[in-house]
Amino acid sequence: MTDPILVENLEKTFGRTKALDGVSFRVSAGSFMGFFGPNGAGKTTTIKALMNLIPHNRGSAQVLGVSSNRLGRAEFRRIGYVSENQDMPLWMTLGQLIQYCRPMYPTWDDGLCESLRETFKLPLNQKLKGFSRGMRMKAALLTSLAYHPEVVVLDEPFSGLDPLSRDQFVEGLMELSGDKSFTLLLSTHDVGEIERLCDAVTFIDHGRVDVSESTDSLLSRFRRVVVQQKAELKCTKLFSTWKAFRQNGERVEFVETQFDEIEALKNRLSHELPGSILKAVEPMSLREVIVQMSQMERGGK
Amino acid sequence: MLPFSISFKPGIPPCDQLVDAVRKAVATGDLAHNTLFPSVRVLSRELKISPTTVHKAVSQLKQEGLLLGYPGVGMVVSARKATGLDHRLMLLQPFAETLAREARELNVSGEELMALVQRSLYASGEDGNEKHLAS
Repeated sequence: MTDPILVENLEKTFGRTKALDGVSFRVSAGSFMGFFGPNGAGKTTTIKALMNLIPHNRGSAQVLGVSSNRLGRAEFRRIGYVSENQDMPLWMTLGQLIQYCRPMYPTWDDGLCESLRETFKLPLNQKLKGFSRGMRMKAALLTSLAYHPEVVVLDEPFSGLDPLSRDQFVEGLMELSGDKSFTLLLSTHDVGEIERLCDAVTFIDHGRVDVSESTDSLLSRFRRVVVQQKAELKCTKLFSTWKAFRQNGERVEFVETQFDEIEALKNRLSHELPGSILKAVEPMSLREVIVQMSQMERGGK
Repeated sequence: MLPFSISFKPGIPPCDQLVDAVRKAVATGDLAHNTLFPSVRVLSRELKISPTTVHKAVSQLKQEGLLLGYPGVGMVVSARKATGLDHRLMLLQPFAETLAREARELNVSGEELMALVQRSLYASGEDGNEKHLAS
């Protein structure tokens, strides 16, 4: 089976600016992918190219096995897309918006729609104009989930939402994960939002993908290591998977990027830094791992 | 509400944390033998973690024999393997290792450490007795 989202060497230029410089990643069926990077990294451009909202220059972007520039009605009935700055018919009430969207989707589920509305605590009879930003985002999500899309693409859904709304937003998303699984691509500039929700992460910066990997594997292989060391440290001879060295007197800190077992680390230590004492091996949060990786990328170039 | 408790910490794969929480709940009896275990869907919704992650954790628990899948019924907790002393000691192993390492770092002798553990045991034992009397 092909991956529901497949991006290969995607390039996009705006005038002289290269917004996407060969972006590649894939989201496998049923996976929740967190797509993040700093503002201006190329997240929204990638997503717009994926959703056939802007043309790309080179490479390919596929959704549900169809090239993005050929996406049509049949595919959009199977895709739910919500973006941060979505245009909404503000003169409509939520009830009218629902009635407007409903006929476009053969798989529309009134039961799911109503249960999402309860989760989001949205009033049916109020005009969207009077909705807060958070309420509008939730209304947009409601009308994008009620037809059981197979692929859900959310562009910065959490920005400007208060914690309660964020929680409701995620709760609504999880209501969709019924008998049939769906594939999620969620962009955000805040890693903390997705450490638990997503099982995979793609990190983009300066129009390039630095990391695309499962969350479990990233969290398992990164460790902050603290070592006590008497002799002079010779940085040049050190092990290739050890990064970000810092030394303060006898105390040496580094990041092991391919951690496996503590015994293996001890063996490497006794080989690379004879006479050193292992003081601590600490797990790192996803946020710390990403910061570390982007620094490594920048340093390596 | 889920029949066991879990509070996620950053830095540890959510899948591992879920597996550990269930192992512990089975060992303590919070998840009793032969009771129904929540579905992947319910777990994913309640914990707000990806169904893929939950699925992975559940597969591992099945492999360990802590969960048994019955078609048409769902998953059922099997406590046979989980309540033995070996298993319960295994759950304590990482804490013991941390304690030993910290003690070494702080230059606390084995004897001093054991005395501290004894005192802590005594303190929590009193707590436990009170709970026992209350129930």
